[in-house]
Amino acid sequence: MTAITVHCLGAFRDLGDRFTIEVDDVSVASIRDAVSRHLVQMNRSDLEGVLKRSVFAEGDELLKDHVTVSGQEVSLLPPVAGG
Amino acid sequence: MDLFARNEGERYVCGLIDGPCQTSDLDVLVQDPAHGAIAQFFGVVRNHNEGLSAAAVDYDVHPELALKALSELCQDVCADYPVKLVMIHSRGLVRVGEASVVIAASSAHRKDALGAVSDAIDQLKIRVPIWKKEIGPDDEQRWLDGHSLRKD
Repeated sequence: MTAITVHCLGAFRDLGDRFTIEVDDVSVASIRDAVSRHLVQMNRSDLEGVLKRSVFAEGDELLKDHVTVSGQEVSLLPPVAGG
Repeated sequence: MDLFARNEGERYVCGLIDGPCQTSDLDVLVQDPAHGAIAQFFGVVRNHNEGLSAAAVDYDVHPELALKALSELCQDVCADYPVKLVMIHSRGLVRVGEASVVIAASSAHRKDALGAVSDAIDQLKIRVPIWKKEIGPDDEQRWLDGHSLRKD
């Protein structure tokens, strides 16, 4: 198992600035699944829809679900709303 | 801490600043003796949204990604229009009546400056990692929905 720190942005700030999950493999898809389980544990299943429309980033790179992360920290970016 | 980026040819400046944007003297940043038009846009926090009263917006930003996205957006706009461009967005608390985003473009003729500013604000809203938490008059708070960056 690998521990991944997820940095929260936007609506996910309601969960805190960051949280840690454990994954069997470090694909973004696995991280997404683990975050989904974390939402259930935190009684925030209402954010599941937001999670489905969110993207993960490592450093300044947006990640597609099939890629693997190289480090142990990612950012979770919900739909953007600047302006 | 304020963050800014500019390109080598001085075609654009973009940045993120803490708190509301200043709306004065923006034109100075894009003045050019060969340009006869300057267009400006100020995005200002309003006192209502979706039928609810609002007192302020707290802007959350991923600084590294947002500055990268702003820079790429400026490059795209400058590729589409022969303009000098400045785009600045707030992070943190911006109250009703204060500007959260300011954009200015100058060009030889007005159509390019007007088009550049219009495209810039349209694209900023769907490309730049910035999020709004609306704060009501009794301090009630809600995150606003936006545009997904997910490509798969």
